[in-house]
Amino acid sequence: MPEHDITSAAEALRLVQVSKTYGTGDNPVRALDDVSLSLAAGTFTAIMGPSGSGKSTFLQCAAGLDQPTAGRVFIDGAELTGGSETALTKFRRQRIGFIFQQFNLLPTLTVLQNVTLPLRLAGKRADRKRAIAILERVGLGDRIGHRPAELSGGQQQRVAIARALVTNPSAIFADEPTGALDSRSARTVLSLLAEAVREFGQTVVMVTHDPVAASYADSVIFLADGRIAGSLDRPTAETVAERMTHLGDAVTLRPAVGE
Amino acid sequence: MFGLAVRSLRHRTGGFVASFLSMFLGATVVMAFAALLDTAGGSGVDDVSEETLTTMALVVGGWGLVIVLFAVISTMTLSVRQRAGEMALLKSIGATPFQVGRMIVGEAAAVAVVAAALAILPAMGAGRLLLELLQNTDQVAEGISYGFGTAALSIGLGVTFLAAVSGAIVTARRATKQRAKEAMTAVTVEQARMSRKRVIAAIAFLAIGLNCAILTVALFDDKGIDAMQTAGQASIWFSIGLALFAPVLVRAVTAVLAGPLRLLGGISGYLAVENVRRRTQHMAGALMPIILFTGIATGTLYMQSIENAAPPAAGSSIPADEAQAIETLNFVVVGMLSVFAAILVINTLVAATTYRRREFGQQRLAGSTPPQVLSMVGMEGVVLAAAGVLFGSIGSIVTVFPYSLARTGELLPDTTIGIYVGIVSTAAVLTLASCLGAARKAIRVPAVQAVAV
Repeated sequence: MPEHDITSAAEALRLVQVSKTYGTGDNPVRALDDVSLSLAAGTFTAIMGPSGSGKSTFLQCAAGLDQPTAGRVFIDGAELTGGSETALTKFRRQRIGFIFQQFNLLPTLTVLQNVTLPLRLAGKRADRKRAIAILERVGLGDRIGHRPAELSGGQQQRVAIARALVTNPSAIFADEPTGALDSRSARTVLSLLAEAVREFGQTVVMVTHDPVAASYADSVIFLADGRIAGSLDRPTAETVAERMTHLGDAVTLRPAVGE
Repeated sequence: MFGLAVRSLRHRTGGFVASFLSMFLGATVVMAFAALLDTAGGSGVDDVSEETLTTMALVVGGWGLVIVLFAVISTMTLSVRQRAGEMALLKSIGATPFQVGRMIVGEAAAVAVVAAALAILPAMGAGRLLLELLQNTDQVAEGISYGFGTAALSIGLGVTFLAAVSGAIVTARRATKQRAKEAMTAVTVEQARMSRKRVIAAIAFLAIGLNCAILTVALFDDKGIDAMQTAGQASIWFSIGLALFAPVLVRAVTAVLAGPLRLLGGISGYLAVENVRRRTQHMAGALMPIILFTGIATGTLYMQSIENAAPPAAGSSIPADEAQAIETLNFVVVGMLSVFAAILVINTLVAATTYRRREFGQQRLAGSTPPQVLSMVGMEGVVLAAAGVLFGSIGSIVTVFPYSLARTGELLPDTTIGIYVGIVSTAAVLTLASCLGAARKAIRVPAVQAVAV
């Protein structure tokens, strides 16, 4: 994957003055407020913030799951433009991999079928060998014929990681990937994400509220009230937790200031 | 718990539409025909008219009870299954299975009372039309005046209420037998095997149907319309037997269609095959009414069409005027069955498809475009329609061939293919339109919202 080489300064994700407003009329909610950022390819970034800070909205807008009200989003240099659901889906499945808190594997398909699904949907050959190699890599080589319901949460999330990796996307977006897992499974999942970045040059953007999860990333970007409220390189759980505490202060103070 | 039932009804009217509709239509039909008993009991009714009126009322009333019962079980089971989470919640906060059951029965009873009460006015009109029809075709004497009274009200309300409550009891037993945990996981892990009881019942129904077919040829050769006594039932029993075998039939048809679907349908065909294989129980639920509709409608309508085309038979014990009453009855029963089967097909498929909203969302997040989701659902519909039409047709054969043999000496009836084409296309259109309509609605929700639990 030379185009995703860690040493190249290629840009995997770029947001330019992105805003998202929910609701209309007298009481609009500004979930994202003029957010601009750029993430290099081959980096692992955590997006953190308290509840209601716009983390989920950020992920949905950046990953083409939702349309921003204003601003532009580029994935690997290609602009996400408004279009039909079909056009957006095609854009996403070409460039983006997803990992969700609730895994979102298809219950009727086996592990291997779930992993090859994105390839098949895109009309590509379902490369079984590659899919099996990735499943072995995430430690599920002996589970390829199982259905999701027969696996533990941690195993299901590893299937989801394999599914995200199989298309070799420009960016992988993970939404609270450890939110439904016990701490041991969570560590495995986070290590796999970090490995995908370090060894395969993948770009991972992870939304989380867990300082321990964030500490696996190269850097952390903090959101508060829909705005970027700072960042932190080479984070540890302690430094992240401390910053989060102060973010919380800022948020609770803000209404008082406004009054 | 009854208070809970009423509140639960008020907040989810949509879930009860199908139950309500089948109870309302059932009550209307049963009441309208029961009014014939009131009419027969009036003054100045001659013996022949009285017998025609009474027979019609009892036959349609009896079938009405069976059909409404079946419809209520089917629609209530679906609405309860969709609320598995709510049922589990009730149990977790301390509701006993008995209390949950009482809530389900209470809901059904409340819906039945409203449905039957609202059916009174339309039933009065329908009963009058029915009498006029019988008089215009000289099956009942002109001078008889219409009556709508105690018989109509008590039978109409009684049958509806009885069917609704017993249907609900069956549903409640099923629902409460499930443990909370199972209720939540039942969707993904389903047992592939049919219960012993079901297999025995299915074989028994098939045997009764076959027996009727053999009797038709053995006893009623050249006896004219008398042969309807056994021929008419044959397809009904046989179709019920086949419908009970639905899970097996779904698998068989899928095995045959899997190759072509994958070849022609690409990824959507591939997904459709996997879904049908993994959800035979769900698919079987939708297949049953399609088989019943196709089998019974084809059997009965062709039987009548053969009769109308055949020369009068010497050995018949039934006079011509009664033959006409039988024809009317045949059409009424088929009409009634068809309407109910249609409600069941639509309800089952719409509910099952809407229930998959989350799954469609997951699939879209994995990269499915909306057309890919729709074409997958469409192909599942094709499997269902093909299986329903195929086995429904087989179900009708046990009526059509023996009756034709008994009446004309030929195995294949010499009548129009038009009726069959009409029935088959109705079944296919109903199936596909229900699946696709519900799927279109289900994917209108953004994928991220659809997967949110």
